[in-house]
Amino acid sequence: MSAVGTAGVHVFGVRHLSPGGAWHLLRFLDEVKPTAVLVEGPSDASSEIRHIVRNETVPPIAILAYTDQVPVHTVLWPFASYSPEYAALKWADRNGAESAFIDLPSSVTLALRSARQKEAPEGAGDKLPDGESEALDEDANAGQPRDAEEQSSNADSKQPGSTDAIPSAGADDESSRSGSPEVSLYERVAALAGEPDYDTYWERHYEHNLSPDVYRQTVKAFSSSMRSLTIAGEREQAVHEFAHNAVRESYMKRGIQEMIDAGHKPDKIVVVCGAYHAEALENTDGAMTDAELKTLPSVSSKLTMMPYSYFRLSSLSGYGAGNNAPGYYEAMWQAMQEGTLEGLPHVYLSAVAARLRESGTFRSTAEVIEAVRMAESLAALHGGSQPALVDLRDAAKTLLGRGELSVVADALAFMDVGTGIGALAEGVSQTPVQDDLNRQLKELKLDKYRTTVAQELTLDLRENRRVKSEAAAFLDLNRSFLLHRLALIGISLAQVKPSSQQEASWAEHWVLQWSPEAEIQTVEASLMGETIEIAAARTLSQKLAACTAIAEASSLIRTACLCGMASQLAASLTALDALAADSRDVVQLAAAISELSKAVSYGDVRRMDTAPLLPLLEKLFLRASLFLLEASGCNDEAAMGMMEAIGSLHNAAQEHAGQVDEELWLAKLTELSSRDDRNPRLSGLACAILMERGVLSAEACEQEVSRRLSPGIPAELGAGWFEGLAQRNRYALVSRIALWEQLNAYIAGLEKEQFARALVFLRRAFSVFAPREKTMVAEVLGELWGVDAGQAAELLSGELNEQEEKQIEELNEFDFEDF
Amino acid sequence: MNGNEQQLQDVLRLPAEQLYRHELEALKAADKGKVPAGWQMSPQAVLTFITGGEAGGTPITPKYIGNKRLVEMAIATLVTDRALLLIGEPGTAKSWLSENLTAAIYGNSGLVVQGTAGTTEEHVRYSWNYAMLLANGPTPEALVQSPIMRAMEAGGIARFEEISRSASEVQDALISILSEKTISIAELGKEMNARKGFSIIATANTRDRGVNEMSAALKRRFNIIVLPAPSDLETEIEIVRKRVSEIAAQYDLQAAAPAHDALLKVVTIFRELRSGMSLDKKEKIKSPGGAISTAEAISLLTGSMALAASFGDGEIRDADLAAGLQGAIVKDDDKDKLVWQEYINNVMKKRGSDWRGLYAACKELNP
Repeated sequence: MSAVGTAGVHVFGVRHLSPGGAWHLLRFLDEVKPTAVLVEGPSDASSEIRHIVRNETVPPIAILAYTDQVPVHTVLWPFASYSPEYAALKWADRNGAESAFIDLPSSVTLALRSARQKEAPEGAGDKLPDGESEALDEDANAGQPRDAEEQSSNADSKQPGSTDAIPSAGADDESSRSGSPEVSLYERVAALAGEPDYDTYWERHYEHNLSPDVYRQTVKAFSSSMRSLTIAGEREQAVHEFAHNAVRESYMKRGIQEMIDAGHKPDKIVVVCGAYHAEALENTDGAMTDAELKTLPSVSSKLTMMPYSYFRLSSLSGYGAGNNAPGYYEAMWQAMQEGTLEGLPHVYLSAVAARLRESGTFRSTAEVIEAVRMAESLAALHGGSQPALVDLRDAAKTLLGRGELSVVADALAFMDVGTGIGALAEGVSQTPVQDDLNRQLKELKLDKYRTTVAQELTLDLRENRRVKSEAAAFLDLNRSFLLHRLALIGISLAQVKPSSQQEASWAEHWVLQWSPEAEIQTVEASLMGETIEIAAARTLSQKLAACTAIAEASSLIRTACLCGMASQLAASLTALDALAADSRDVVQLAAAISELSKAVSYGDVRRMDTAPLLPLLEKLFLRASLFLLEASGCNDEAAMGMMEAIGSLHNAAQEHAGQVDEELWLAKLTELSSRDDRNPRLSGLACAILMERGVLSAEACEQEVSRRLSPGIPAELGAGWFEGLAQRNRYALVSRIALWEQLNAYIAGLEKEQFARALVFLRRAFSVFAPREKTMVAEVLGELWGVDAGQAAELLSGELNEQEEKQIEELNEFDFEDF
Repeated sequence: MNGNEQQLQDVLRLPAEQLYRHELEALKAADKGKVPAGWQMSPQAVLTFITGGEAGGTPITPKYIGNKRLVEMAIATLVTDRALLLIGEPGTAKSWLSENLTAAIYGNSGLVVQGTAGTTEEHVRYSWNYAMLLANGPTPEALVQSPIMRAMEAGGIARFEEISRSASEVQDALISILSEKTISIAELGKEMNARKGFSIIATANTRDRGVNEMSAALKRRFNIIVLPAPSDLETEIEIVRKRVSEIAAQYDLQAAAPAHDALLKVVTIFRELRSGMSLDKKEKIKSPGGAISTAEAISLLTGSMALAASFGDGEIRDADLAAGLQGAIVKDDDKDKLVWQEYINNVMKKRGSDWRGLYAACKELNP
């Protein structure tokens, strides 16, 4: 490698995602007319440039690199229409110049990054150097918003299993701003210039000025002095960051040298890079040698293009790879190209007002005019040539929001962020998962749903016996598997709608709508595996590993069934088994049993082998039965949950009578029914179930009633028990005259205070009775009291008069003391 | 010292342009910016006057602490000859900001309409000297101009305090003044046209009893800026400290300025009661019915200083603070008293030894 100085190379330092930078760069390129354009970006993505510059490509787009082994690490290089890099590549394409990326290959970047993480200590210690490095890198590139490394979406919530201790980029940014002294240097520059923040300082000083060659000179001067101010501290405090930058610059120099060696004249080469590196790249002294190149670490990784969205580009989404207001900068870029930059405030504020009007808040044109004037005078106060984004926002708040940010917040967010979503030409962005999804959609005849218009789809999961091939017979079932898998991975293609009761077991209603967001999610799914099935399986195992509650695990079992993933079912069962082993919580156990029971019952229609579920079902049921008595010693509040649990356990007992130990269950219920020291409502419910099953004979039942409703039993015990009893099979209850005699006698024997207490329980018990049932009760009581049945019924089901209303009101304020 | 100056010394409260006369003069002398028509200094100099800084070697004290951007927005409004409406909870320095802005821009903060339920349209437009009106009929000499009309004539800034307290029809008299920038005097067949520099700064309360909602038509003619309560403890302590020492100097209170400790306690109590939770956000606290603003913290502390000077040894004691707190927080009804008692017993008691003295003093007043 020759070490000849290359002072002749033109270096254009930019801030990434800077419309001003893009505008000036284009003019600079027109002037220099280079034969080669070198751009800071992963050198292994140079082959993708032909896709980036295609006419079908609509920014924002991104290059995504990811390790193909777990834990998955990712790096992202986003491009917006106003990225200087994108503008440079387009220019090179138009003018027949060669173009290439010259930064470290993504595999090296990923390797260096994970190496840096390993070296950094865990926990709080990790956060500081990492956060520091990001902010440094960001600001060091003359305020470019986050360089490649920071765009790693590693900490995204999608893959909790693979993440490290890095907080999401957004949060990191915050912490570093308050923490490290170097960052405050940039904030101090902004404060000295009288600006609220660095972004505003940058916009006002570098974006608005369209005088020829001003950008390149001023940015260069600014960043080289910033570099000299920070580099000493960086060498000591952020060693890794410093070393990383040195390696990158050395590699980029090598790239420049290679281009010169390939025959391009140095003065016909333009290098586009972050302004921080501009000074270093002016010569190629210290370019990386072949020997050095070999020592660079590297991991196995893959690279793909993906469509991106302004929402993700903005810091709002927590992705953190971008700038604060992509929609606004896009508008600025357009205005620059049309030569109407000074009209941007008018466009922006009119659009905000228009959006307000759309949402029903009328604002007059006069107010928009005044808002523009105010924004301009705010800019003048800072010596700016035209309003910056903060000025526009503040003017909008004052005039259009009449002082309230909340009025305009939505419209401002819409304008600042925008809804722009990128697109790539067909076939460019093909990760294996995208291929797999396309293939499956075609196979299952779902590709016509791949539109942005929402369409409904009803699936009949039962075998279609009128067709010949098996694939056709189970078409809908396989569709259902795919859609459930997509939902599990988080690809927002389809949403399930609730089905009606009678078809619940075999029908599914879906709403399908394709969106570019779903495309992005599909690309991201490739981080989880090569196919939809593998990605779904891995997502499920991560969820299983993370779940801590029985209910969660049992719902995952259900998900596994819905997705038709038999192999995952076993893992889910193990997870549930492990969680349930220590649980004595009957309510949770019952919820799990109910999920399992559903999975078993619907297993046939989904052609799932549910046999492996049964032993676990049996085991859980046994546990629930054994702990029933213990759990029934609870207060009334907990009893609500228990009543539901007993109900679902009983359903399971009947549905899987062959598998579960029903005898034990009934024995335990009998014991619960006869015990006086458990919650009376639960005892009552147990008694009702036993009656229903015919385990308890009529005489035994009457004995029990009379024992429970003996005179002198406190109201909460007697009436509470009755409330439990009245939960089930009320017809049987109503027809037992003896029972009502007992209840009647019991109530008559209560003292006034006790009676008021009993009323609370009885009222609650009868509140769930249907009107018809109430009438039947009235008839029975009427017979007992010797009143005409019709009259009694009328009294009971008629409207309350005022006095009675008042009495009930008083009852509401009844002091329950300590029960 | 001439008589006029002597007179000024005796005034209970000096207007801002007198109080900060040397600062304004220094700013004018050092001003290099472009001065808008009708203004006496450039917008940048006005900003320095309000937010503090330095002019030609003279230090400029900050008049409004906290949010510099709001002041910039207020000044930008006045540069575009729009009327400015400052809205905020009671005691968020609306009038204070309005007075200082007027003093800096126009040099006379005395053209004030004070809005009350009894304010009439004559206070906004003009009225007549009835003796002369009866004697000579309508003549220019018989015309009594409102502060707003005088501001129009001079190309200055009029202030409308508590605009939302005046009746809606009185407020509406402003609508045509603000859009046409003229007042027609039908009786004389004349029109009064505003000169360059004319504007109005109005203030209004958001949360108070007895206020009239402003019409949309009027709101549309104002640039509305909402002044927030101080954003953090330190800012509020700084504001209170500064104003207390200024007021104490003005009233010649013979007491030591409150210690940082006392400021911290008072501001903490006020902030907690205002926000309805403890500063660490761990505890929910009931808020009293009335507003508990920074302005009240200031008057509480100056009141305590007066108590200490007149009946004590010049040092603010816990008992003085307790008396002040009692008066500031328990305004009218028994509910406030309960809220305050609850705060004393549930929050203040657990604050440790630093708060012991104040707790005992408050407890004594609320057995």
